[in-house]
Amino acid sequence: MKTISADGRLAPEAIDRSWRALPKHIALALASLAMLYPLLWMLSSSFKPEDEIFSDLSLWPKAVTLASYVEGWYGLGINFGRFFLNSLIVSGLAVVGNLAACSLAAFAFARLEFPLRKFWFAAMLGTLMLPYHVTLIPQYVLFQKLGWLNTFWPLVVPKFMAVDAFFIFLMVQFFRGIPRELDEAAVIDGCGPWRIYWSIMLPLSKPVLAAAAIFSFIWTWDDFFGPLLYLTDVANYTVPLALRGFVDATSRSAWGPLFAMSVLSLVPVFAAFLMFQRHIIEGIAASGLKR
Amino acid sequence: MAHSASLAVSAPGRVARRRWDGVRNALPGYLFLAPWLAGFVLFTLGPTLVSLYLSFTDFDLLRAPQWVGAANYQRMFSSDPKFWASVSVTLTYVVLSVPLKLAFALAVAMVLDRGIRGLSIYRAIFYLPSLLGGSVAVAILWKQVFGYEGLVNEFLWFAFGINGPSWISNPATSLYTLVLLSVWQFGSPMIIFLAGLRQIPRDLYEAASIDGATRRQQLTRITLPLLAPVIFFNLVLQTIEAFKAFTPAFIISGGTGGPVDSTLFYTLYLYQQGFAYFRMGYASALAWVLLLTIAAFTALTFFSQRFWVYYEDDQR
Repeated sequence: MKTISADGRLAPEAIDRSWRALPKHIALALASLAMLYPLLWMLSSSFKPEDEIFSDLSLWPKAVTLASYVEGWYGLGINFGRFFLNSLIVSGLAVVGNLAACSLAAFAFARLEFPLRKFWFAAMLGTLMLPYHVTLIPQYVLFQKLGWLNTFWPLVVPKFMAVDAFFIFLMVQFFRGIPRELDEAAVIDGCGPWRIYWSIMLPLSKPVLAAAAIFSFIWTWDDFFGPLLYLTDVANYTVPLALRGFVDATSRSAWGPLFAMSVLSLVPVFAAFLMFQRHIIEGIAASGLKR
Repeated sequence: MAHSASLAVSAPGRVARRRWDGVRNALPGYLFLAPWLAGFVLFTLGPTLVSLYLSFTDFDLLRAPQWVGAANYQRMFSSDPKFWASVSVTLTYVVLSVPLKLAFALAVAMVLDRGIRGLSIYRAIFYLPSLLGGSVAVAILWKQVFGYEGLVNEFLWFAFGINGPSWISNPATSLYTLVLLSVWQFGSPMIIFLAGLRQIPRDLYEAASIDGATRRQQLTRITLPLLAPVIFFNLVLQTIEAFKAFTPAFIISGGTGGPVDSTLFYTLYLYQQGFAYFRMGYASALAWVLLLTIAAFTALTFFSQRFWVYYEDDQR
């Protein structure tokens, strides 16, 4: 996060303002449109009457209707409000869990001396490379033995135990960039490790905490595999799982309601992107983070 | 005598105190580490070892695991055509989608890097598919877009009067729609490339152009060599991601990997074996083969570094 400046700003004189740049801008604008076309078309189709979806390539609905939203909202017997609430609970807890547990571990790795520290750090890095399929079945058996199937616990509890090592790694990198003189001064003033962690490191680490929070939220919100394994009762479905149930339940021609709910499911992620674009882009640039 | 007695007394005392200091120093570290350590043992290390054991057993979740030796692995390699189908689908996907995605990412990053106005807008637009692309919603969109009455065929009819097939339900094309979905998400490696390009000192290009280097020479002699570590990083990351692809294939094929196993991704097959047929021993063996394959690919890429990746602090 330190060495790479991803804010995209160059010195003003380096920016080509001349007309020579125009063809490039036209090409880039066309490419942008092509990239976004499917998404924009889904958005516009969700407001079109059902019969217009198949006959119309345009991004502008001839007649705007909310019928697809109304039909989709109640499409699975239980209304989508429930699924949004479920997703929000799971994602919210995942954010809290990841922030708390990962920052504790990262502080230990970055600042504290203890036996076997290097060994555990290497083990933590090792888990980054491990495909989750390897732990899948024993974890499932474990959660079954605990009686946690069809609850949110299997999706949430591991986050409170810092299983997403990626965030630990990200935070360690950031903590190491904070000057040690600050801790040393605090030790002289009689601060223990907890005070250093709570009153010095965390307040200084807002950028990395924000990035971790945003990515935890987005990834958990989008997660399909975990809920698919653990949530069986429709009332417990998260939004992606409900959408999948909706695909299976709808007939060939009911794309309108499906699109409407798909659009709604993307709104929180899109909103997070608009609000925290800088954190997201910097986070990726800093570490190449992508699940 | 007195002297030696005091030595004998003090030595263990000193050792004890040093041990106590050690404990006192270790304590805060381990307290901070405790949640992770518990999670590591409970959810990572333990399950990894258990799944290795289960891969040598017959296990259906109801009865206790039955030891069967290497039978799962033998069956996989010698008498399970579906396993080979899933391997072939996954390798095709990895080999096509990763280089294409990285090529797009690099090309667009280089266009955007040369001091262009509105960089942050273009960057955001190109990144958006990466952010949304892994979701079920986009998989649903893809299913429509490449369906018989989908957006692509509408366009073909509108533009060329061609009546296109259903790209999704044709086994010859279905996998390529998924490759396209992956390539469409070139935005996140692009951002990493952009950050990497920014690290290359501008005066190198100036010096090169004074010496009469062409654009092409600048690309092959400056940009690509200096960007090699970033290319390497993206390559490793995207390859691992591609091996793990699951959601789009699951949604588009309705969980079957069809038509005719043409989208039977390895992870999808693993899921079916474990959680549709409850052959959990076999699924564990599949998981271990996946782990070893990814490890081998990663090791191979790391090994290949010495031939094409140049780190600035290397003494050559």
